Amino acid sequence: MPLRLVPRNLLKHPLRSLLTLLSLAVALFLLCLLRSLVVALDAGVRGAKSDRVIVQSAVSLFVFLPESYQEKIRQVEGVAEVMGWTWFGGYYQEPANFFAQFATDSELLFSMYPEIQIIKGDARDFLADRRACIIGDQLASAYDFDIGQSIPLIGGLFPRVDGGVWDFQVAAIYRSNSSNVDRKSLFFHYDYLQQSREEGGVEGPPGIGVFVVKVKEGEDPLAVMGRIDALFENGPQRVQSCSEAVFQAQFVSMVGNIPLFVGSLGGGVFLAILLAVVNTMLMSAREQVRDIGIMKALGFTNAAAFWVILLQGLLLALAGGGLGILGAHAVSEPMAQALGAYFPGFAVSRETTVVGLVISLAIGVLAASVPAWRLSRLSTVQTMRMEA
Amino acid sequence: MTERIIALSSVTKIYTRGGESLVVLDHLDLEVARGGFCALMGPSGSGKSTLLNLIGGLDHADQGQVEVAGTNIEALDGSALAAWRAETVGFVFQGFNLIPVLTARENIELPLLLAPLSRKQRRKHVDDALELVGLADRADHRPSQLSGGQEQRAAIARAIVTDPKLILADEPTGDLDRESADQILDLLARLNSELGKTVLIVTHDSLAAERARRVVHLDKGRLVDRSEAALAPGGGN
Ligand SMILES: Nc1ncnc2c1ncn2[C@@H]1O[C@H](COP(=O)(O)OP(=O)(O)OP(=O)(O)O)[C@@H](O)[C@H]1O
Ligand SMILES: [Mg+2]
Repeated sequence: MPLRLVPRNLLKHPLRSLLTLLSLAVALFLLCLLRSLVVALDAGVRGAKSDRVIVQSAVSLFVFLPESYQEKIRQVEGVAEVMGWTWFGGYYQEPANFFAQFATDSELLFSMYPEIQIIKGDARDFLADRRACIIGDQLASAYDFDIGQSIPLIGGLFPRVDGGVWDFQVAAIYRSNSSNVDRKSLFFHYDYLQQSREEGGVEGPPGIGVFVVKVKEGEDPLAVMGRIDALFENGPQRVQSCSEAVFQAQFVSMVGNIPLFVGSLGGGVFLAILLAVVNTMLMSAREQVRDIGIMKALGFTNAAAFWVILLQGLLLALAGGGLGILGAHAVSEPMAQALGAYFPGFAVSRETTVVGLVISLAIGVLAASVPAWRLSRLSTVQTMRMEA
Repeated sequence: MTERIIALSSVTKIYTRGGESLVVLDHLDLEVARGGFCALMGPSGSGKSTLLNLIGGLDHADQGQVEVAGTNIEALDGSALAAWRAETVGFVFQGFNLIPVLTARENIELPLLLAPLSRKQRRKHVDDALELVGLADRADHRPSQLSGGQEQRAAIARAIVTDPKLILADEPTGDLDRESADQILDLLARLNSELGKTVLIVTHDSLAAERARRVVHLDKGRLVDRSEAALAPGGGN
């Protein structure tokens, strides 16, 4: 097969090939980033531990639960441990600097979440200091925070009455090997929040956001969830328990049905690009009718002619798609920084790269196979007539 | 008795267009001896190209036998026919020859890609062919950078690079000025006399036909052999 016909024909109309290549690149760039967004959203759900259950208010996630529930839940059959988990909703210097902060029962945090591993500093320093906090390694690198430093936060949900800031001392930096624990969060002592509220220096709702329940080994989480829900059936506040996975998924659906949205968006982009490439391939194939006739006269088979055309589509699609995928990788890091805590774990994964390449390949094959097939079946005599 | 390289018997080719059928070749017989140089003439639309394409295995007859170089090519299927063509026939067409995105050298190399040859061997064959047609200094030019005569010479080089027994040329001088046309005819004559190739050439040009050792005329689907003995002192082609 005269393989050199493949690049030569693509370079014959450099502008046309370049434009097609660029449109492919842009499309694959977008598709990869879109997919990475969905993956990031999904990761939290999939990384969830099945032995952890979240208890939240039956009314809404934003309605807090009484502190007294903690002890009551602990008594429920099948419950190993219960920890409070309260969304703090503060920001650092300005609202745009958004990352998640949680007030938890610090002495329980590490046993409830073995995913959280201290990589710098000491967990004991954290437990010893009332105003200490631990922060994720990605948060630390994003703002250049380090051990011993204090992070002033403006309380969003819990503003200080005097208008001042909250101060948290960084005692340790953690890392998480699971996508359900964000590496850009800050954890501090619930006691600190609670005392501040009691002293009256702070506004904001009383109680605890949600409870994280660890189910005893061998117990059925569903049964435990049922018992907890039943316990508060008659108030004072009804609760609704769900698995950690479902809890994480709530956030996904809160941002709208993103996967579906992204899916249809991706489908549209795919179709548009496919049409553009089909157009290019048809034009280019028409110009090669005579070449195919010559090849046939020299003794080349239909298959050789088919591949000469098909490979042009494939090469164009892979080059364009590859460029787009490379581009997506290039902006992956800054994108992750910019999206910050909204999409923890955003990254263009190897799987996304493979999916992108497969999509490029599919576009190439789909766009080129029809012209390749039609052209390859023309005889020399037919091509001569078409020329005339 | 000289060996026949082309033996057509009772070949019929009919085109049907819009319910009307056109008998282009009507029970036509033709024999060409190995090593012959034969010109095929006839009015436009008389079926010269059709006949040449049949002999080269580019087209199929509706009836009759087409035996070329000892093979009944009507019996071959698509890929067998392609392989047969690559081995047996070299084509030269009019203005339908070179692939524009390839250089002269690459065009000439094309048919060699079908043979089990090393890159070095291919290069050697291409160099020899370029030398033969006097295009060694234009080897790396694209067709658009060649004159019409040079293009045809490159096409001839490609037709002979695989060392086929038979050269089929359809109006190879049609677009050329007298001088270039003569060069092409000289070249074809040399291929015939020096390399022993059988050459069958379709032409309108009577000067071109004079170079052949035999001229046959195609008219109304039949052949009229006018000059078999007269123009060929060697005779018997
Ligand atoms: N595929 C086809 N369908 C219908 N008619 C055809 C087809 N191919 C050739 N013909 C007709 O067959 C006749 C012979 O055509 P051919 O090309 O062999 O003539 P020719 O002798 O080579 O003419 P010219 O000197 O103009 O090249 C013409 O009338 C042509 O219109
Ligand atoms: Mg003709």
